[in-house]
Amino acid sequence: MKPGWVLIPCRHAHALISARMDGPLDGGDRLRLWLHLRLCALCKHIDRQMAFMREAMRRIGP
Amino acid sequence: MDADALARTLDGLRPALLKMARLQLRNDAWAEDAVSETLLAALEGAAGFAGQSQVKTWVVGILKHKIIDQFRRGGREVSVDAQVEAAGAESLDDLYRSDGHRLHAPLDWGDPEASLAQAQFFEVLQACVERLPAAQGRVFMMREWLEYDTTQICKELGITSTNCFVMLHRARLRLRECLEMNWFANRAAR
Repeated sequence: MKPGWVLIPCRHAHALISARMDGPLDGGDRLRLWLHLRLCALCKHIDRQMAFMREAMRRIGP
Repeated sequence: MDADALARTLDGLRPALLKMARLQLRNDAWAEDAVSETLLAALEGAAGFAGQSQVKTWVVGILKHKIIDQFRRGGREVSVDAQVEAAGAESLDDLYRSDGHRLHAPLDWGDPEASLAQAQFFEVLQACVERLPAAQGRVFMMREWLEYDTTQICKELGITSTNCFVMLHRARLRLRECLEMNWFANRAAR
């Protein structure tokens, strides 16, 4: 897959996965990330893992 | 719960509170102060608490407020740290090839939720957060533990929103690596 306007490399997808946890993405980035996650099973893992880490952090406590 | 039982409960909670305060503040003296103030406030506010779990939630809530107070008092120092670290050269190049693909494929963590029931998992998680660079760890804890939004974090720490996003992103990737290496990879092998 050659990166372009719509197709982004995994590294860029990971930045968007993180950014999306802190606020809404703009339309172009939403489209890029959506498509990337449809095509890339490994980034899908990372997306789920990031969500899991958030859940785990909220449960840190005595 | 009577005053005696409350005092004993608080005493039992102290080490865990201190651990959380250290993780968030990255400064032992500040952490001690925040926890002492928390315990004092808890003793003074000792209302009729039915059970230990109720007390825990309440005390952790107080601690979070005390930590914020401590941040405000330590303001300049904290924000200088954050600015220096955000500007630092720490890159993620060790994780990626030049074409933007990962150097190592991430593992499938299976059913990670099962780990939430294990105290040992939380020890690994806390150790991994502790291993993050100080300012990065603070920003990450503010976001994920204090549950601040990025606008509030930028304001408290005096950093730009771009720096904030970059630090959170780095922290998440580093934490992911650490958990994979020290918890999920071992479990797959077991």
